[in-house]
Amino acid sequence: MTAIPMEAARVTRLRRLNVAGGALTALIVLAAVAWAFPLYWGIVTSLKVEQDVVRPGVHLIPERWTLDAYTYVLFNSQIGRWYVNSVVTAGAVTVLVVAMSAAAGYALSQLRFPGKRLLWWLILASFMVPIPALLVNHFVLMAQFGLLNSWAGVVLPQLIAPVTVIIYKQFFDSVPRDFREAAVMDGATELQLLFRLYLPMNWGITTALAIITFIGAWNTFLWPFLAVTSEDMMNISVGITQVNDAFGVRYARLMAAALLAALPVALVYLVFQRRVTQAIMLTAGIKG
Amino acid sequence: MSSVELRGITKRFGAVEVIKGLDLSINDGSFTALLGPSGCGKSTLLRIVAGLEQASGGQVVIGGRDVTGAAPAERGVAMVFQSYALYPHLTVEQNICFSLSLARAPKAEQKAQAARVARMLQLEPLMGRRPAELSGGQRQRVAIGRALVRDPEVFLFDEPLSNLDALLRVQMRLELAKLHQELGTTMIYVTHDQVEAMTLADRIVVLDRGRIAQVGSPLDLYNAPANRFVAGFIGSPGMNFLPARVTREGAGLVAELPGGGRLALPMRALRGAGGTSEVGIRPEHLRLADPGTGDLDGRVSVVENLGNTAYVHVETPAGPLVVEADPGLRADPGMAVGVRVDVGRAHVFDADGVAWPLAA
Repeated sequence: MTAIPMEAARVTRLRRLNVAGGALTALIVLAAVAWAFPLYWGIVTSLKVEQDVVRPGVHLIPERWTLDAYTYVLFNSQIGRWYVNSVVTAGAVTVLVVAMSAAAGYALSQLRFPGKRLLWWLILASFMVPIPALLVNHFVLMAQFGLLNSWAGVVLPQLIAPVTVIIYKQFFDSVPRDFREAAVMDGATELQLLFRLYLPMNWGITTALAIITFIGAWNTFLWPFLAVTSEDMMNISVGITQVNDAFGVRYARLMAAALLAALPVALVYLVFQRRVTQAIMLTAGIKG
Repeated sequence: MSSVELRGITKRFGAVEVIKGLDLSINDGSFTALLGPSGCGKSTLLRIVAGLEQASGGQVVIGGRDVTGAAPAERGVAMVFQSYALYPHLTVEQNICFSLSLARAPKAEQKAQAARVARMLQLEPLMGRRPAELSGGQRQRVAIGRALVRDPEVFLFDEPLSNLDALLRVQMRLELAKLHQELGTTMIYVTHDQVEAMTLADRIVVLDRGRIAQVGSPLDLYNAPANRFVAGFIGSPGMNFLPARVTREGAGLVAELPGGGRLALPMRALRGAGGTSEVGIRPEHLRLADPGTGDLDGRVSVVENLGNTAYVHVETPAGPLVVEADPGLRADPGMAVGVRVDVGRAHVFDADGVAWPLAA
């Protein structure tokens, strides 16, 4: 006797769930479209003829498809040189930040030395200073070193990375003491402990930090914009501002340059995305 | 192979002294168990021998060499940790070879050594696996292999079986005993499990709050405990203790128990002035009897039947007793029973917990 009303209630509940689920999905799709639209707009703009770009009205699909903007950027600007500058500076920043942060994090986590606590507090305090607040100091310092318009001048101020030190310290803190002691019994030195044990056991976080640091260094604009004035020393994020001619801003070319600039970063993330996830899972496994 | 000498070892953590002037001599090739409850200092002592912890005072001598200030790797010792501490990013073979690889031994030598150890411990099919892909017992064997590859003078084991299930623990115990027979290397084994210590070790050091309570063979400790602590710690179920007043009577001693029971004890002499003491008797030295025919009368409270034997808990006026009985014997809770005491196997402890000498 009660089976039918119960069944009816279940159906009603499911229907309500379906409606709620559908509404939520629609909302998410809408948000995704809103997020992706500028990207789409950038891509189609780069594939339009310049006259169509500035033509009044909204044209979601180009009437005339062309790769002229890309051809222009690739063959009439120093984009190759800017790529090299970006690869070198972002690569150097990544390697140096990861190496120095891992070493500092290891020292703060595992070694005993006078002033350790003070050093830790200093690193925590430096985390609270916004980098733009130091721009003038950095500029003066680099100018005095004679490093403006050089790779070193672009790289050095970007090596201040307290967050990565903090993350490394926390990961190294969570490695069970037995691993260290077993390796010490096996005759490991501090350097061997870092490079043969702590770093490989936390390679997931190293990969993640390296990718994040690389993307950050690749995309950074303000400091390289200030530190470099000569066009052939610019990195790609600064270089794209140079893609205009006597007739002013050319949107298709600008978009093409921006997309070419973003392409390596997008590729890096796509290639390493699975490794980052896998690595974080592995790191969690060690802790378990 | 090497002997280990600990001379006047003390260890303080801040104001807390966890090891108090400890002297211990461990013979070459022996299997010595450091046994005691949590917090007695046994693991700290092992870590001092390993060099992972510096003693606050005293000397550590291994193989006649003072290694008190030496680094762990220079002491000729290898340690198996409770957690096994297998490096998760390395394969079994790489784990075993880790110490050789740190010492930059040639690859061929590393391979040969790993193969030798793998053969000994039947690890050959597992050499390419990572620790996460191994069972508890296999991990344990890899941890032993990692210690073995270094050809140490002394093996140190820090509660190595405590993470295994009961069945595997028995199996690994046997494997460790065989390994010791095969190698003949000095082994120091920390455990809180008296069964492990009794079955594996040829010498047991019982520690109590940073001091040695007794050193001896497993049977010595079981049959002739030097004090109440050792008597209570060794044996499962533990020794029964009954408060008593011991007096001389004729040629022997008599223990008067609360509730009017009396036990005639074949002790050699009355230590000190006598007076308040405790009588200790193991469950297997008590027998159930008909009410009124034993040394004590009581009522059964609980019966634990293990199949091959049974433990009958009896409430007596002198105190609760655990009696080992034939599992076929009928004893139900609430039943009135008598308890007969094998007085020749009884122990007497004075007010300070020190054992009186047994009958000659």
